[in-house]
Amino acid sequence: MILLVLFVALGAGLLVLMYLFVQSPEPRAEGGAQALVQARNALSSLQTGLLPAELVERVFAKDDLRFVASSAGVKVQEVFLRERKRLALSWIAQVRTQVLSLKEFHSGQSRLYARLDVRTEVAVALSFASLLILCRALQATFYVRGPYAAPRMVGFAIIAAAKVCTVFEHSLGFLPRTSAEVLRRDSPGPHVAA
Amino acid sequence: MAATLKRMDVERASDDLRRRTLGGISRTLDRFIYLASTRDYNTGLYYHDGLASRFSTDVACEALANCHRETFHQLVAAPIEDLVNQMQGYMASSQSRPQDFVAVWKGLEPYRVAVPVETDPFSAEFLFSNFKVALAIVEERLQKPPQSIQGA
Repeated sequence: MILLVLFVALGAGLLVLMYLFVQSPEPRAEGGAQALVQARNALSSLQTGLLPAELVERVFAKDDLRFVASSAGVKVQEVFLRERKRLALSWIAQVRTQVLSLKEFHSGQSRLYARLDVRTEVAVALSFASLLILCRALQATFYVRGPYAAPRMVGFAIIAAAKVCTVFEHSLGFLPRTSAEVLRRDSPGPHVAA
Repeated sequence: MAATLKRMDVERASDDLRRRTLGGISRTLDRFIYLASTRDYNTGLYYHDGLASRFSTDVACEALANCHRETFHQLVAAPIEDLVNQMQGYMASSQSRPQDFVAVWKGLEPYRVAVPVETDPFSAEFLFSNFKVALAIVEERLQKPPQSIQGA
């Protein structure tokens, strides 16, 4: 009798496990292309719009600060500092948004397309975590102490984001940038001349 | 093959444009405004009769778009000091009263419609911000003689 109860309990347990396994959310192929294009767009936005060294250097360049401080009145200096703070906050918020977009793609879809070994998975997870923490820290620093307060942290953020982008270049490597651009251009938008 | 030939034509047309038309415009800001003015607001396509007659309408359009993007990036890379000088030069050549010029640029922000299509939003935001600061400096210089600003 005890054995019977044990077998029934075991069978019921197995059934529950099977049910949970079937019901567990799996990455679905539907909508995969859309997610892939979004990830490619996020990557492109980071690489061409937010991380290029010459642009970031210009945003945080102190020569503009020195020029305004030496040749403009207090009101204009205030306008300049307000504008630079706004830009710095906007920049780090956009970097964070794009990194989050890549992270979402990575956790939801990338396993369908690329086989990553455990070490790479852990490394990518750590890179995402540290980069997102760094973005938050930079946001707080810019907000409290202004855009020129943490040049080294800006440098670290750029390096960390570039590393994440490189990993994604490999995992999205089978979809050439041009294909993603064609897909993006097919969507409604302003007429492109060139 | 056809695409390669077209790309070569676009390169030749771009060089031609840089040498002839744009070669006569010394300031980047003036070149930027000029190139933006060759673009149709409704279609986003660029037109240049002379260039189209030497090459083709399509090739001329792409060459103008290339040069427009190029000048945009040059302005993004320019320090504010350079932008202020360019803006003062442009204002002096515009034949409008400096006060009117500043009022119109502050009110209408015409540079916002002058950026190339598909410009990345952050670069555009950065340039607009620099224009705003440069304009504030130009305005201040119009109101005060330089030595009183230095002393502020």
